Amino acid sequence: MNWKIFSGFLALTSLVGADGQWVLASSTLTYHVSHPIHQSEGASHAARGKGVCQGGQCNFLIAVPVKSFESGDTNRDLHMVQVTHGAQFPLVSVRVSLAEAALTSASIRCDVEIEFAGQAAKYKDVAFQALTKGNETRITGSIPATLSDFKIAAPSLLSIPVRNEMPVRVDMTWHPM
Amino acid sequence: MWNIVRLIGLVFSVTSLLFAQAQATGGLTGKLTDASGASVVNAAVTATNIDNGQTRTAITGADGGYQFTVLPPGNYRVRFEAQGFKTLEIASVTIGATRVIADGKLEPGTSIPSLGDLGITPDQSQGSAQDQARLDKRSHMLKIHQRLGSITIAPLVATLSAANGAAGHKSTASERDLHAILGGVTAGMYLTTASFAIFAPKIAGTPTRGPIRVHKALAWIHGPGMILTPILGSLALEQRNRGEKVHGIASAHGAVAAVTAAAYGAAMLSVMVKF
Repeated sequence: MNWKIFSGFLALTSLVGADGQWVLASSTLTYHVSHPIHQSEGASHAARGKGVCQGGQCNFLIAVPVKSFESGDTNRDLHMVQVTHGAQFPLVSVRVSLAEAALTSASIRCDVEIEFAGQAAKYKDVAFQALTKGNETRITGSIPATLSDFKIAAPSLLSIPVRNEMPVRVDMTWHPM
Repeated sequence: MWNIVRLIGLVFSVTSLLFAQAQATGGLTGKLTDASGASVVNAAVTATNIDNGQTRTAITGADGGYQFTVLPPGNYRVRFEAQGFKTLEIASVTIGATRVIADGKLEPGTSIPSLGDLGITPDQSQGSAQDQARLDKRSHMLKIHQRLGSITIAPLVATLSAANGAAGHKSTASERDLHAILGGVTAGMYLTTASFAIFAPKIAGTPTRGPIRVHKALAWIHGPGMILTPILGSLALEQRNRGEKVHGIASAHGAVAAVTAAAYGAAMLSVMVKF
C-alpha cells in the first residue's frame, strides 16, 4: 500500500517537473531617457510575473503598472504617465515565449512582445543573461525600446525633445512554483 | 436667397462628413464560453490592430459577452485571456464599416499565463479616459505655465535694469514711469503664469518629491513678493512724484524686489536642471 502511495508521489513529481511554473520573486525595470542637457531614469519594482512551461515550451507574462515607475521627481513621473497615456492604459505587459531548454543556458535570446500606451510592439531576438543560484534564476538584459514604437510624443525640456531611444533595463529574479 | 442655398449646402456637407466618419469605424462583439458552453466572465479581450499596433482591451460581462463599439477599420489580432483557461488567439479579424462578431471557446489549462494569473483584477487593467483627459489638461496648463514663466524673465530683467534710473535722486519722472510700466507688465505676466499652475488639475494621491518641491517652496517667496513689490513701488513712486524722499514701508521696495527676483530665478533654475 505504502509502495503505491510512493509511486503515485513519484509520478506526480515528474509531472510537475515536466510542466513547471515560474513566479517572479523580485524585479527592477528601469527606463532611460536622454536629453541634450540631461539624462533621466525611472525604475519600478512593482512588476508581477508568471511563467508556464508545458511540452517543452515556456510562456512568460510580466505586467507592471505605468505609474509605478519613479524617477525621484514626481512632476516628471506624472508627465511620463501623461505622455505614455498611463491613465488610459495603466499596465505595461510583456510576453515572452521560448523553449524550456533555453532556460538552462547562461545566455537567452528570445522575442519579446510588449503592450504599452495602447500599442503593441515586438522585439526580435533580444539577448538576456541568466544566472541560476539554488532554486532562483536571475535574468538581466536590456530591451531596445523606442518612444516611436509606442507612438509616444517625446517629452521636451526647453522646447528640445528627448531622444527617441528609451532602453529598458531588466533585472528579474524568478522562482519555480 | 443665396445665403439660404449656402446654408443648406453647409448643412449637407457637415451631415455628409459626419455620416462618412460614422461609416469609417466598425465594431467587434462576441461571447466567450468554456468547453461546456458556460459563459466565461471577467476575461480580458485584447484587440490589436496588426497594421499599426494599436490595442484596445475589454472585459467580458456576466453573460460572457464583450464589445468594442468603435474600432477603426483594419485587421485585428484578438486575444482572449481568463484565469484557469488556455489563452485563445484569433490571428486576424477584419473590421470594416459594420459590426463583426468573434466568439471564443476557451479550453481549460494554464499553458499561457493571463493577467488574472498575476492577481491583476479587471479594474486594475482597465484605464480611464477621464483620468487621462485630466492628466492631459494638467500637462497642457503646466506647459503654458513653463513658457509664460520663461517669457516673463524679459520684462523682469528690463524692470530691474530700469530700476537704477528710477531710484536715483536725480531720476526723472519719465524714468520712474518707465520702471513702473515695466513692473506692471512683469507683475501681470507673472500672475497669469502663476494662475496656470494654480488652476492646473491636481492629481490626488501624488506626493511631491524632487526638484518640484524646491520650485513650489520658492513660490511662497516670489508669490507674495510679486504682489508686495508693485504696492510698495506705487507708494515709492507717489512719494518721489511729490518731491519727497522715499520713506517708511515704501523704502523696502528695492529689497523686496531683489529677493523676489532672486527667488523667481532660483525657481526657474530648479526645474531647468532636471526636466
